[in-house]
Amino acid sequence: MTGVPRYPGQPKGSRPALVAATLAVLIALPWVLARYQMSILTELFIFGLLALSLDLIMGYTGMVSFGHAAYFGLGAYASALLLINFAVPIPVALLAGGLLAGLVALPVGYISTRATGIYFAMLTLAFAQLLYTIAYKWRDLTGGSDGIAGVPKTTLWGGGPSLASPTAYYYLVTGTLVLSLLVCRGLVRSPFGRALMAIRENERKFAVLGEDPRRFKLAVFVIAAVFAGLAGALFAPFRGFASPEVMFWVLSGQALMMVIIGGIGTLIGPVVGAMVFLLIQEVLSSYTEQWMIFTGAIFVLMVIFLPGGLVGAVKAWLAGRSSPAQGAG
Amino acid sequence: MSILLEQLLNAVALSALLFLVSVGLSLVFGILRVVNFAHGVFYMLGAYMSFTTVTLLGSFWISLVLVPPVVGIFGALLESSTLRFIYRRPPIYQLLLTFGLALILEEGVRTVYGPTAKPVDPPALLQGAVTLAGFHYPRYRLFLIALGIVVGLGLWLLLTKARAGLVIRAVAQNSEMADCLGADVQRVRTLVFGFACALAGLGGVAAAPMTSAYLGMGISVIVDAFVVVVVGGLGSIVGSMAGSLIVGAAQTWGGFYLPETAMVIMYAVMGAILIFRPWGLFGEEE
Repeated sequence: MTGVPRYPGQPKGSRPALVAATLAVLIALPWVLARYQMSILTELFIFGLLALSLDLIMGYTGMVSFGHAAYFGLGAYASALLLINFAVPIPVALLAGGLLAGLVALPVGYISTRATGIYFAMLTLAFAQLLYTIAYKWRDLTGGSDGIAGVPKTTLWGGGPSLASPTAYYYLVTGTLVLSLLVCRGLVRSPFGRALMAIRENERKFAVLGEDPRRFKLAVFVIAAVFAGLAGALFAPFRGFASPEVMFWVLSGQALMMVIIGGIGTLIGPVVGAMVFLLIQEVLSSYTEQWMIFTGAIFVLMVIFLPGGLVGAVKAWLAGRSSPAQGAG
Repeated sequence: MSILLEQLLNAVALSALLFLVSVGLSLVFGILRVVNFAHGVFYMLGAYMSFTTVTLLGSFWISLVLVPPVVGIFGALLESSTLRFIYRRPPIYQLLLTFGLALILEEGVRTVYGPTAKPVDPPALLQGAVTLAGFHYPRYRLFLIALGIVVGLGLWLLLTKARAGLVIRAVAQNSEMADCLGADVQRVRTLVFGFACALAGLGGVAAAPMTSAYLGMGISVIVDAFVVVVVGGLGSIVGSMAGSLIVGAAQTWGGFYLPETAMVIMYAVMGAILIFRPWGLFGEEE
C-alpha cells in the first residue's frame, strides 16, 4: 500500500509458510484439545468472524458502527427459526442468516450513511436498539426475553453427515472463518477495497473524483452485515439458542473492543482480538464477579497506550528490530 | 381536550428530562469534539447517589443540590485522568474510551448497590396532584418542566452573558485560536466535561422519584439522548431543546396511541428528519 496508513499496521503481505502452518495447526487441533477447549475455540472463532466483519467497515472505510450486534442477532434468529421449525441443513441456515442481516442492513445503511463519523455511530446504535426492542417484544416469533431454545445442529446437506459432534462443528466454523477471511482479504485488495480506503482517508476528495461515496459505503455496510449475520447464524446452533442478548448494545461495544484490541484495519487482527478479549473474560470471570470492571480497565489502558492493537504492537516491534527509524503512531 | 393537554404536559415533562441529559452530551461534543458514551452512566450515578443521600439525610432537596456537583467533580477527574491524553487521535478512540469507562462505572454501580432497583420518594411538597383546568396532574411532573426551563434559561444566560460562556463559545468555535488568545483550553475542556456530567447527574436526581434508580437506566437514556442530538444537531443547545421536545412528543404520543410501536415512531421521525437534514435541525456540517 502506498501513502501513509491512517491506522498502524495494515495491510501486510502474506507469508505462505506461515499460512500453511496455521492451517495445519487448525486442522490438527481436534486431536490435541479436550472437548471443552474445542468448544471454547469454536466460540472464539465465531466472534472472530463478527469482529472481522466489523473491521471491514470500521478499519477499511472509517465507519464506526455501534450497532453491529444487531446483524449478528438477526443471523442468529434466522438460523434458529429455520433449524428449529424446518430442520434445514446448516448451510441453508447460514445463508438465510447472512441474507436476513444484509436485507435489514440495506434500509438502515441507506439512512445511516447519509451521516458520517459520530452521527453514523449514533444512528447505527439507535437502529440496533430498535431491532433489539423488536426482538424483545415480538414474542410470537422470537419468544421475547426467553429467546428460542433447543436449536439443533443439523447436517451438512440433506441426508449428509451430521454436524452435531463438537469436532464436526469446529471444522464448520473454522472453515467458514478461513473462507470469510479470504473473501474479505480479496475484497479489501480489490479496486472496491481501494475505493473504501480512499473514502476513509478523504471522503470529499473521493467525491470530487466523480464517484458517489455513499454507494460504496452502503455496499460495504451491507457486506459487513452479511458476514456478521453469518457469524450469528453459526452461533445459534452452537449455543443451542438465540435470545435478545445477542443483539444488545453490549455485544456491539464488545465487537468494537475486539477490533481495537487486535488491531484495526488488519482483518486478522480483529480475529486475534476477539480471541484475546474472550479469553481475558473467561479467565477474569473465573476469579471475580466484577470481571467487567477489569475488562473495561484493560480496554481503557489499551486505547490510551496501544492504539494499533496487538498486531500493531507486534509490527512496531518487528519494524523496530529491522529498522529503528520506523515507528507506528 | 383535557386529555390532549395532559399528554402535552407529559411530553414536555419527558422532554425536560431528556434535555438535562442531552444538553450535556451536546456541550461536551461542542467543546471536546467527543461523544461521551459514558454520559448516561453519570445520569445513573446521579440517581443512585440521590437514593443514598435521601436514605442518609432524608431530604430530596439536599440531594438535588449536593449530588450534581459531586457527579461533576467525579466526571472532571475522569476526564483529566483518561480522555485528556488522546484528543489528537481519530474520534473513534475517544468514543471507545468512554465506552470502556461506561462499562467500568456500570459494573461499579452494580457492585456497590446490587441488582435491585432503588426507589426514591419525591419530597412531600411535590407529592400528589394539582387540579388544572378540570383534570388532576402530578405535581412532580410540573416540577420537572420547571426544572428544565430553569436549567435551559440558566445555560442560555451563562453562554451568552457571562465571561465563562464567552470563553466556552470561543473554544467551541476554534480551540487553537482560543488557545493563542490566552484561554486555557485544557482547563475549559475539563470544566465543561465536569459541568456536563453534573447536568447528567441532575437529570438522574430528577428522574429517580419517577423511575427509581436502576441498572441500565444509563444506556436507555443515552440512546434516547443520541436520538435527541442527532435530530437537533450536535453542539447546539437550541438543537438539544428542539430535539428533546420532538423525541419527548414522539414517545409520549406514540406510547399513548400506539403503545407497541412507540420506539418505532421515534426512529421514524428521526429517519424522516435526517433525510432532509443529515446533520440535524440545528447542527453544522462536519
